[in-house]
Amino acid sequence: MKELKILLILVVIVLIGYWGIEPLAHSIMHADIEKAIEEYHLPDFKFSDLPDPKVNPGDPAKGKEAVKMFCTSCHGVKVEGIKAPMDPKTAAASFGVVPPDLSNIAAVLDEKFLINFLVNPQKATENPKFAMPALGLNEQQAADITAYLKGIAKKHMTPKEKLVEACVRCHSVKYQKIYAKTPAENLKKYLGKVPPDLSVIYKAKGEEYLQAFINRPSKILNGTKMPRVGLDKESQEEIIGYLEKIADPHKEQRKKVGLYVLLYMLVMIGLTYAWKKKIWKNVH
Amino acid sequence: MEKKGGLMKWLDDRLAITQLWKVMMSEYYLPKNINFLWSFGVLTMLVFVILVITGIFLLMYYKPDAKLAFDSVNKTIMMDVAYGWVFRHTHAVAASIMFLVLYIHMARGIYYGSFKPPREVVWITGYILFVLMSATAFTGYLLPWGQMSYWAAQTITTLFEKIPFIGPDLVIWIRGNYIVADATLTRFFALHVTLLPALILVFTAVHMYAVRIVGSNNEDGIPLSKEEKKEKGIPFWPVFISKEFFVMSVFLLFFFYLVFFNYDFAMDPINFQPANYLQTPPHIYPEWYFLAYYEVLRGFFFSQNLGLIAFVASMFIALFLPWLDRSPIVSGKHRPLFRFMWWIFVADFLFLTILGKLPPTGFYAWLGFVGAIVFFVFFFSLPIISAIEKKQVASGGKQ
Repeated sequence: MKELKILLILVVIVLIGYWGIEPLAHSIMHADIEKAIEEYHLPDFKFSDLPDPKVNPGDPAKGKEAVKMFCTSCHGVKVEGIKAPMDPKTAAASFGVVPPDLSNIAAVLDEKFLINFLVNPQKATENPKFAMPALGLNEQQAADITAYLKGIAKKHMTPKEKLVEACVRCHSVKYQKIYAKTPAENLKKYLGKVPPDLSVIYKAKGEEYLQAFINRPSKILNGTKMPRVGLDKESQEEIIGYLEKIADPHKEQRKKVGLYVLLYMLVMIGLTYAWKKKIWKNVH
Repeated sequence: MEKKGGLMKWLDDRLAITQLWKVMMSEYYLPKNINFLWSFGVLTMLVFVILVITGIFLLMYYKPDAKLAFDSVNKTIMMDVAYGWVFRHTHAVAASIMFLVLYIHMARGIYYGSFKPPREVVWITGYILFVLMSATAFTGYLLPWGQMSYWAAQTITTLFEKIPFIGPDLVIWIRGNYIVADATLTRFFALHVTLLPALILVFTAVHMYAVRIVGSNNEDGIPLSKEEKKEKGIPFWPVFISKEFFVMSVFLLFFFYLVFFNYDFAMDPINFQPANYLQTPPHIYPEWYFLAYYEVLRGFFFSQNLGLIAFVASMFIALFLPWLDRSPIVSGKHRPLFRFMWWIFVADFLFLTILGKLPPTGFYAWLGFVGAIVFFVFFFSLPIISAIEKKQVASGGKQ
């Protein structure tokens, strides 16, 4: 009885300590992040800060013409047989970052975001130094291009393909042997530093942070050079799911082995208790 | 051990193992009035064994090189090697839990007066073990070469700069470079896997030898005479150990729950970003077991020098307990004044630990200052309490 009382006191002290160094400390250290998440309702897949385009439904045929006129001097569109005008190295050196091939780009981007982006890239990405300049497109042209790009994009992409489409112009995932398309020295010039490798970023940042940060980088990390990419809800969730899987590949195994070990320890508790009883029977 | 076969007799003739077994185990008597807190000494050894075994396996894949360390831990060990993650998780959690077990072991020793004559050597060797374990933990924490590894090492080694005259040179000598770098990693690795564990083994041996000479303390602090021991005591083997195994099993259930299902507290998320000497993390803090001392350092926020002196004092003052507390009454069970101060100390240690992780600004800074002062109040109250109790005993009031 007395021993149980001592144990109870121990447990209470340990739990208070644990509460202090984990939940309490984290809530205080991450207060600004929690505040931003609440204030901007992150992740916000409606992109509520951007205006709703007042346009007729986009016309893919007109969009195709517009892409040829406005985009292909920098971007390739492989599925349509349009090659990028420069090789990646030269392009990275000229623009700071390799411009994406447009074949599947719309598969991961939100429609509303993409229209806003085409009209004003700096505003949509919330990054004043974003490499692509505003081209003077009006909203209708942007909607046409968006309709065209949505039309040519693959309908089904694996989470890994989506990650490559969305993140790998700047980020590497070296444990998966995926390397950034833009050379490191160009990224350093363009962004001020080489962006973090994504191999175990899920463990470093966690689900909640990634959901909010990818959705709206500048509101979570003041002064970040990461542009808002404008992923749609499905793509972002798939990409984060993929990041979790590669950062913690043994999750299932861990749960299974953990359960067996705990069961084994329960048996051990029974056995050792029985032995203790037997030995102590003769003691008093 | 009683029956002697051929081999046993052969060994016994040469090594006197029967005698050794008697002295160490079957005829080493403990008092009956002890509770399960007396099991924590053997628990520290269990955790140490877990650390050594997992450590040896980690050693087979770990690369102590600034360019390779992070990937060898997070890729090779955590992803590629079959069950490598079990060894890393177990090692990290065991390192953390070692301090929980140590702190309970030490707090029990203080409460029941186990540092008092004739157990001073037990206390001192035990305290040296605590310091060695701290050094092992600190050097080991650098090895994954993550952001928190790096910046914790950077911050703590910087403290040496304030030592008069030799400080700045000493820091460079410790780091092997002007900043924490590859040279630091390699030497911390060397200390972590050779010298420090070897010293821990040596002091563990002395610690246990000393306990067997003077015997275990008990709840009432009243020693058994040699004759009483056999009559009233319980032999270490098999009586005490049978309870110890039960305590161990319960402990291991808790321990493996942490290893498999709740390991974040021992593996800080920030440490999953590789060390970058150009980018300071927004919050730098040591592992939880150093937070109290760290908070004493920060508590004197108005003077760095004072903070440093307090920091060093807080880490070593408990070593002098046998001389600070000279009361003739041994156990806290019979010392209401002491018990009161002990509880304040425990609460304050907990308070400092929690505060140590919070940003040291505004109100928190002042709370830290108060906490740091209270930490020392316990130790300085001991001579006073001793004097009061000496008078009581002299006037025949107690015991």
